[in-house]
Amino acid sequence: MHSLPIPTFQPRLKVLSREQALAIHTAALEILEKTGIKMEHEGARAMLVDAGARPFEGDWIRIPAYMAEEALKTAPRQIALYDQNGKKAMALADENFYFGTGSDTTFTLDLESGERRQCVLADTGRFARLIDGLDNMSFAMSMSNPQDVPKIEFIYVYAFAEMVKNTNKPIVFIADRRQDMAKIHEIACLVAGGEEALRRKPFLLNYSEAISPLRFPAHVVDRLIFCAEKEIPICLPSGSNAGGGAPVTLAGAMALGIAENLMGLIIHQMTRKGAPFLFGPNVSVLDMKSTVVSYGCPEWSLTQAALADMRDEIYGLPIWSFAGATDSKAVDAQAGAEAMLSIVTAMLSRCNLIHDVGYLEYGNTSSLEMVTIADELIAAALHLTKGIPVNDETLALEALDRVKGAGSRGIFLTDDHTFDHFQEALFLPELMDRSRYDAWMAEGGKDLYRRANDKARELLASHRLDPEMAPELAKEIDQLLGKL
Amino acid sequence: MDFTALSETIIKGNMDGAVKETQKALDAGSDPQQILDQGLIAAMDVVGEKFSQGTMFVPQMLRSAKTMQACVALLKPQFQAGTVSSKGKIIMGTVKGDLHDIGKNLVAMMLEGAGFTIVDLGVDVAPEAFVKAVADEAPQILGMSALLSTTMPSMKATIEALKQAGHRDKVKIMIGGAPVTSQFAKEIGADRYAPDAGSAVSEAKGVLAAG
Ligand code: B12
Repeated sequence: MHSLPIPTFQPRLKVLSREQALAIHTAALEILEKTGIKMEHEGARAMLVDAGARPFEGDWIRIPAYMAEEALKTAPRQIALYDQNGKKAMALADENFYFGTGSDTTFTLDLESGERRQCVLADTGRFARLIDGLDNMSFAMSMSNPQDVPKIEFIYVYAFAEMVKNTNKPIVFIADRRQDMAKIHEIACLVAGGEEALRRKPFLLNYSEAISPLRFPAHVVDRLIFCAEKEIPICLPSGSNAGGGAPVTLAGAMALGIAENLMGLIIHQMTRKGAPFLFGPNVSVLDMKSTVVSYGCPEWSLTQAALADMRDEIYGLPIWSFAGATDSKAVDAQAGAEAMLSIVTAMLSRCNLIHDVGYLEYGNTSSLEMVTIADELIAAALHLTKGIPVNDETLALEALDRVKGAGSRGIFLTDDHTFDHFQEALFLPELMDRSRYDAWMAEGGKDLYRRANDKARELLASHRLDPEMAPELAKEIDQLLGKL
Repeated sequence: MDFTALSETIIKGNMDGAVKETQKALDAGSDPQQILDQGLIAAMDVVGEKFSQGTMFVPQMLRSAKTMQACVALLKPQFQAGTVSSKGKIIMGTVKGDLHDIGKNLVAMMLEGAGFTIVDLGVDVAPEAFVKAVADEAPQILGMSALLSTTMPSMKATIEALKQAGHRDKVKIMIGGAPVTSQFAKEIGADRYAPDAGSAVSEAKGVLAAG
């Protein structure tokens, strides 16, 4: 007689019941049907009205629910992102999760002096290279808004070129308008070996934003349409932050953000059926003392876990989310605590594309050390999320017999079973310090920030891309930049 | 006349109560300017203090400001045209290319709560539009907001445009927004910088006190 192996339960966080998920979805559809959207893009407005939306009061339109349901049907359930060598790197679907950095911080903590200073282009390169060298980071974003670019109106093109040169992992990028986005697309085509190759194996995803409440500026819709036409994967959260752009109660903030996302999805799928769209609003909170939009609050973790439930119950589309960030100004205990809470919950709720890892100061400052620490926090969270495999080998009754047989000196540390299994059974931290006090002091008594600083420096000095960019390609990109 | 009861209702954000107290004060023959200064604006000063101490939150502060506005509306007809003195006029706007407005709106509301008259030009405001508004409205202060590194240069362009048009000396310029720093304010020749709405109010008061 053989019995089936016992499947391993992998811990999972659920925060919405089916009834709750459906009620939020219904409210979102009601917002589209009854409240309407301010659609400032004339072409999109005409297209939507043609298809059944009703115009009112200038550029406002009301959108019947069936248009949203149709768009949800044609959008693909999986978005596959490739690395720059053409290998599939991220299968954004179902319960798969991938972590990466965030976009435009104004300041960064200097690796040498520890001072908070304005970001420069070299920082964009450093963050991309660090990401390339960290095992648990899957994609790169700019992490900086470089001050030293030759032409500020093309800032996002320079940042993209810098990322492409410093990592082979997928890239999530920002653009301001159709014109700079087209340049970024040109660079991406050079890297992928042509437009068709890029279409088949995209290594990039655009992060654009509508404006809560209910506003779709023309240049944002331009980018959305451009991405749909070229099948560049895109996400379009709208910053429906509780108490700011959206109601202070999380259900209302989610309903609004989802309505806005659905509006984006409708335009996107009408432009090109089946083009890849990453779903999800950003629902954080406006802090009621400082009035910053928080990047360390528990509410954001809660709303994205809720969104994951809505994905499972209703949408079936991969989702956009955040983790590993903090409102703290320093890489300190608050930073670690806030980062870990969001990392664990994002993983336990199986969010898909998880960005903003390494943000300090509510997204105003970035830190290479913080990214490095978060990389290990992700590894720890992963260990937790894998659960406890239960089978004869892990129950280890035979090993127990052996140790018992060894008499009074019996200890599992010396048993072969330990030798065979300790590497997968245990989490073996690298940065988290468990050394004895004297050993720690002998190493300089360094706190986590200092140890992460050491590791980041070492990685930046030693890590090589596999392969580094061919000089001819780098030259072509530089020529393109020179002509901006 | 004692305005303690009126001030209390403003601080609590009790709109009906505050309007009743204001009416009572008027009926008792109090001077409208005194009601404004010692009842309403004094209450908002307390609100500002409580907020800095962390015992009041932003929504409560905004409710107090709204309550105050309702009372001001009641006072307005009591003044002969031009005799009610607001603290001063401020033009506010988010600069060209920038659509972030939550911070700008908050600053505008807080300034209004502190007794300033606000002319809000909205978002994506071109330098020429700021210049025209300064010419038309003759404000004491021009407030500009930018949340993007790419739009910060537009603040400088606006200051240049004001110089060109010969209006720079007629108005004090205050700037803010997450990526903006006091260093940047100095570089572009702005007069004041504030990192948040609360300090924007003190800066604005400071400008007027300096004359
Ligand atoms: C909400 C938000 C949005 C919303 C804006 C909605 C709206 N109606 O305003 C949406 C989603 C539309 C948006 C869009 C974009 N955003 Co945005 N956004 C934010 C976010 C999360 C919060 C801003 C906010 O509202 N804060 C709350 C308010 C109350 O605070 P505040 O604005 O700082 O204002 C306070 C002070 O600065 C000061 N202040 C402000 N103005 C003034 C003026 C004066 C005169 C004074 C004295 C003081 C003052 O007082 C205010 C009150 O205390 C910030 C990150 C962050 N946490 O700050 C990014 C952020 C500002 N955005 C950013 C970016 C890059 C963008 C996009 C380009 C993203 C994209 N992928 O397209 C677009 C640009 C759109 C455009 N052309 O403007 C970057 C900017 C980086 C940079 N240095 O350039 C940030 C920093 C995020 C990041 N790290 O990447 N965004």
